[in-house]
Amino acid sequence: MKKIMENVYLILVFIFLFLPITVLILFSFNTSSLNIVFEGFTLHWYQDLLQNRTLLESLVNTLIVAGISTIVSTAIGTISAYGLHKYSFKGKNLVNELLYIPVVIPEIVLGIALLSVYTLLKLELGMFTLILAHICFCIPFVIISVRSVLEGMDSHIEEVASDLGASRFQIFTKITIPMLMPGILSGAQLALTLSLDDVVISYFTAGPGANTLPLQVYSMIKTGITPDVNALITIMLGIVFILLTISTVVQLRRLKKEDVR
Amino acid sequence: MKKVMKISITIGCILGICLLSGCSKETNQVVNVLNWSSYIPDSVIREFEKETGLQVNYSTYSSNEECLAKVSSAKEGTYDLIFPSDYMIEIMIKREMLEPLEQNKLQNINNIDSFYLNQSFDPENKYSIPFVMASTVIAVNREHISDDITSYQDLLNENYRNNITLIDDQRIIIGIALLANGYDMNTVNEEELEIAKDWLLKLKPNIKAFDSDSPKNFLITEESDIAVLWNAEAALAYQENHNIEFIYPVEGSALSMDNFAIPKGARNQEAAYQFIDYILRADVMEKIIKSYPYKNVNQATQSLLGPDYLYNIASNIPTSIIENGFYVKNIGESVKLYDKLWAEIK
Amino acid sequence: MSNKKIWKIFFLAPIIIYVALLIALPLCYILLISFFKSDYYGGMISTFTIQNYIDVFDQVYVSVFLKSILIAGITTIICILISYPFVIAVSHKHPRTQKILMTLVMVPFLTNSLIRMYGWLVLLRKSGVINQVLLGTGIISEPLSLMYNIPGILIGMVYTLLPFMILPLYSSVSTIEPYLLEAASDLGASKIKTFFKIIVPQTLPGLFNGSLMVFTPALGYFFIIDILGGGKMMILGNLIKNQFLTARNWPFGAAISIILVLITSLIILAYRKLGGKMDDLGGA
Repeated sequence: MKKIMENVYLILVFIFLFLPITVLILFSFNTSSLNIVFEGFTLHWYQDLLQNRTLLESLVNTLIVAGISTIVSTAIGTISAYGLHKYSFKGKNLVNELLYIPVVIPEIVLGIALLSVYTLLKLELGMFTLILAHICFCIPFVIISVRSVLEGMDSHIEEVASDLGASRFQIFTKITIPMLMPGILSGAQLALTLSLDDVVISYFTAGPGANTLPLQVYSMIKTGITPDVNALITIMLGIVFILLTISTVVQLRRLKKEDVR
Repeated sequence: MKKVMKISITIGCILGICLLSGCSKETNQVVNVLNWSSYIPDSVIREFEKETGLQVNYSTYSSNEECLAKVSSAKEGTYDLIFPSDYMIEIMIKREMLEPLEQNKLQNINNIDSFYLNQSFDPENKYSIPFVMASTVIAVNREHISDDITSYQDLLNENYRNNITLIDDQRIIIGIALLANGYDMNTVNEEELEIAKDWLLKLKPNIKAFDSDSPKNFLITEESDIAVLWNAEAALAYQENHNIEFIYPVEGSALSMDNFAIPKGARNQEAAYQFIDYILRADVMEKIIKSYPYKNVNQATQSLLGPDYLYNIASNIPTSIIENGFYVKNIGESVKLYDKLWAEIK
Repeated sequence: MSNKKIWKIFFLAPIIIYVALLIALPLCYILLISFFKSDYYGGMISTFTIQNYIDVFDQVYVSVFLKSILIAGITTIICILISYPFVIAVSHKHPRTQKILMTLVMVPFLTNSLIRMYGWLVLLRKSGVINQVLLGTGIISEPLSLMYNIPGILIGMVYTLLPFMILPLYSSVSTIEPYLLEAASDLGASKIKTFFKIIVPQTLPGLFNGSLMVFTPALGYFFIIDILGGGKMMILGNLIKNQFLTARNWPFGAAISIILVLITSLIILAYRKLGGKMDDLGGA
């Protein structure tokens, strides 16, 4: 009885979680353009999507922003987590405290703060300012993620390598980075997710020529969305789902191996 | 090590591609247009790009204040062409934010009906050229509402609970509340504003939503049966639903004239002129007016527009309405009173 | 310069530059302009005034603060109520199933939050899917008002922020030793008693963490209010956005932001006092 109740509850929550995206996917195959009633099956909107340059451009911009900010913030985050772990310096505590700010303050404050500084420095709003803003809120998450692995790491290995004559560079690239890989990867994944999901900070820091998908959808929600947006969302979700399935299967295999052991 | 190499090579490639695609974008001549949402159809912009080889970066705003904010918070020269309304032109001229226009660069300038030129906000059209005109109108879905509506006061009817959509523009909506109570739409008298506030608070239970970008959708999806919105939005709603009727209230409507203007220091001014001139062409303006039926100010286009446009009072606003209407005016510092009032209503 | 020093610079320079330029500078600048005066239509006059902070305590704006806190608070409570049974139910499953279920939780959140709000718009509006289904089956005769009101806003907020509650709660529930629960049931403790005496205290860190990660963003999500609330309500997010983008009174907008930062700091302080770890906050 208890089990049934639990399962019913789980199913209800999952319905809540999946309802909105299921509806969007369904309507991407709908012959009517109004997103109101399902009238018949068509792939028409997928063809339309290929013609919609504004939408495709915004998708490309989104991917560029997410790609660059993930790579840069992962690189800086990894180096910094290591640096903060390894070295001590004046003001280290302050740096450590300030790092949490992008994690905890409401995004809107970070958005307007960055906007004001861009204005102060007379930076032209566009792709560059947008990417900089994304890097800004991703770095702390990468640092936290890498740090959690660093704390469990055995520093003796590095010492041994050093005693055996390995250079600092060799130690970092051949020993430290591979050991930190799980943290780096989960940090990168987090950065990617955050960058793709962000609306508020992008809203304030993007400029002409930096129209990203969320900003495009925001203006379209107000003026009327065409179903080719649904088609785009469906394709993106398909890709995300395949990637996630692969990563889950890999992790499950690992779990299984541990079970056997 | 191999793994690290592989990863770094992949990262390098991705970065390279990103940078390349970023650079290739720069080589194209661009024009950065900042316009109202739902104003120029995408197809017109694409055809302009095809014809001229210029690339249009198009971004939108939904109120004059937002336009001002975007232009002044961005670095000078970010935008090449904007479309502010009357009072905003006045403010921007005062703040020296606009480039004087060289009308001789526009071959099609004479297409504009002289009736709309030389308005008080820019007496010699030194900085601005009219694009279209708009008026607020009450649109009612007659399938559900049969009451006689002639005045803003009629909107207070208790039967309209949660059924009215308004434009999300503080100057216009507070202005309408002032008109409803017989005051000047641009008053800075605090007592009068207090009365306007009470009127809006009384109206609030009837308000379904504030939306500036596409209030017509509320009528089309029958989310609400009454809306106070810009005339073209009402006309578009009518195209989808013929039960919609238009009412210009006796107190008068809020008017707005939107204009081409080039912000100070714009980097692609030649391209901006090309864009303006393209839009002033009779056939191009026709396409725009057909998609967004505001009041046309282009006399060369007028003859191309069919009876659907000409005999629809929501698109071709009657002259008597324009004469009985009011423009929002620049009220300087007192705009803070309106800001606060707006926060109180919401 | 010694080799060692170069390495130290290599590892520390990026973080110091980053913290200085992208965190400290923007916040200090916001703090600074919150003491400026705004001139008519958008300019700032660099004098020192505390007028902006006095203005914040105007009844109008205080009520915006209270409304925001109320909305964010209710959102947090609903998230807690949904998440507890959920993570407990998940934790009773086989580890592999747990892994799959928790991955499934994340799937909708890999699309953009605005896109999901659009999905809700399609579902909730008067002519939307839910009303069509209910009308079609004859359960209701008049369409329900599901959005452009407070329930609509809450649906949007809860939906957007739910994973930030589920994830930390799940990781703390999964650390409870099963023998504790067995012992409790052997000793005849009721389910409710077990929940409050064992599960809640054991998951307290996760609960605080989740509440923090739900509550603070909820204060600022203006786009949910705009889309699902029909622009009829003003929370702090909208107020700040308006000051920066519409009213163009940056000093006042900055003052509101600073107060918002102070509120957040107080919450963080409480979180730390209660033994919360800052690093846990970034794990969502």
